[in-house]
Amino acid sequence: MRDTVLLLAMNGLIWGLIIALIALGLSVIFGLLDIINIAHGDFFMVGTVLAWFSLSATGNFWVGFIVAPVIGFFIGAVIQRLVIQPIHGAAALSIVATFGLSLILQETVRITFGATPRRMLAPIQGTIPLFGVDYEIYRLFAALIALLALAGFFLFLQHTKLGVWMRAVRHDRETAVAMGIPAQRVYVLTFGTGFALAAFGGAVAAPITTVDFRGGVDVLPFCFMAVIIGGLGNLPGTVAAAVLLSFLEGLIQSVADPTVARISSLVLMSAVLLLRPQGLFQGFTK
Amino acid sequence: MTRRSIEIGVAVAFSAFLIAVPWLVPALTDTFWVSVITEILIWSLFAASANLLLGYVGLLSFGQALYFGFGMYGVALGIDNLGLSFWPAFGLGIISAMAMALVSGVFAVRLSWHYFAIITVVFSLIFYFLAVSMKPLTGGDDGVNFSLPPVFHFGRTVWSLTDPTFQYFFVLAVVSVCYFLMYRVIKSPLGKGFVAIRDNDLRASLIGLNVYVLRLIAFVMAGFLAGVSGALFAFFGRYASASYMFYQVSGEAVVWTIVGGAGTMFGPLVGTTLFIVIREIVSSHWEHHSLIVGLLAILAVIFAPKGIVGLWNGWMTRLDERDAAASAQLKLQAEP
Repeated sequence: MRDTVLLLAMNGLIWGLIIALIALGLSVIFGLLDIINIAHGDFFMVGTVLAWFSLSATGNFWVGFIVAPVIGFFIGAVIQRLVIQPIHGAAALSIVATFGLSLILQETVRITFGATPRRMLAPIQGTIPLFGVDYEIYRLFAALIALLALAGFFLFLQHTKLGVWMRAVRHDRETAVAMGIPAQRVYVLTFGTGFALAAFGGAVAAPITTVDFRGGVDVLPFCFMAVIIGGLGNLPGTVAAAVLLSFLEGLIQSVADPTVARISSLVLMSAVLLLRPQGLFQGFTK
Repeated sequence: MTRRSIEIGVAVAFSAFLIAVPWLVPALTDTFWVSVITEILIWSLFAASANLLLGYVGLLSFGQALYFGFGMYGVALGIDNLGLSFWPAFGLGIISAMAMALVSGVFAVRLSWHYFAIITVVFSLIFYFLAVSMKPLTGGDDGVNFSLPPVFHFGRTVWSLTDPTFQYFFVLAVVSVCYFLMYRVIKSPLGKGFVAIRDNDLRASLIGLNVYVLRLIAFVMAGFLAGVSGALFAFFGRYASASYMFYQVSGEAVVWTIVGGAGTMFGPLVGTTLFIVIREIVSSHWEHHSLIVGLLAILAVIFAPKGIVGLWNGWMTRLDERDAAASAQLKLQAEP
């Protein structure tokens, strides 16, 4: 019993780290462009599909870790330029536009990749004994990669010119533009970065979940929950919330079925929205 | 032609078309399209519920499918489990949708904008997962089927929705009544209060409007519209399914509304018609019709951010201005 609890909590923790990557992309787009991105789950899904294609084309799994975020970045930048920019950050319109994007991405994947879900073989086979069962090594490795990517992203925000620009434009657009920051270009790059984060999460998660053109539909509400519970625009809060939520769901799954676990995290989310709409972690992290 | 005469002409032609549908449409194409038009009317009411909130109160609800689902299940379970006849089941569907809207509205309307959108989708997800997990009662994604009770019977004559023509007129009548009620509400002082909140909720509260209560009233009204459309759709399809409570269904209502024109009476109807007609025409020829729907949604927000009805209103206003300019010119010439 104790072992199952630990095992499911571990699964939750690892999945939470991957979700954190995706949710971070959502939060960056939301915070900077004020876009409610309904297509974000599909950005993740495109990442899993890109990983699958690059594996079948090159025979090397690791290529996907480069290919997915890079192609994702370019698709994201193009989308921002063609679709998001013309609607000038009107939130209601952004929902319709990204809903359309979501349909287009799903349908394009269905045409090219097919409608049947596929499983991808993990590049690192083998298990190690953990909590009394043989635990897949790749899952532990995926958690490590996700952690490194999260750390890398925060370093990027703090220490690169583009990262500083992103924070500056989010903080105060007018002043940022007056200081000579090219806000329009920052928007394009931010949207690309958001897509790249989700796609990278997809590439990392591909061997753990199934590769399917509807794979983003379940991920999307979870990412929104992490962003809200963490506090809008609070990036470390988003990461903490994603890990916490997924960990809790894992714990609850050990005593009840997955649906109950999902419902309880939704109830938790409602409580947070009503009692602490500024997010759970405001005042703890900054 | 003036704006008024054009609008009256369109209204008359449109009403005549709606009444003639059961005879005109089979003569022109196929009886299949009568059932498509019936479906459009039902879904347009669902879109109207999203429009009442977004277009008139400024609340973006992403969870209207919840109340649609309650309307559906109220009817299906009322008939299948409780053995109700037609009207009590219809009533049960509407009442349960409104009750659910009241309960969730009490919490939801305290929040505004992004937070409101998120909490409505969260509420609808909670009940979606509940409905999926309570399979013995709700049938989960597969749903529950029921057999249709008659609508009226006078002596030996029985009217039932199994007759497609009667079904069409029944749906048309119910939907028209709902649109009329909505029109009356929008034109009433209550409706002005809604619009005041939409335009600026702080100012609305400063002139003494109770923003919370007005939003709650609007939310329950939207629940009513969604509940009626869900109940009608249950009668139309003779079944109810949890899959209609998923957030993507709510999203479609918002998309139809915005593409048709949020904050206009007939925007939702126009948007719904556009998307369902395209779906029906393209999906029979091409499997990947979602591509066209997606592209259309994006083009609509880029080129017609106020929706199709907004575009139309823009043309009408320009026509008005031209007429006004012409008559001013005439007046100038008449009195030298």
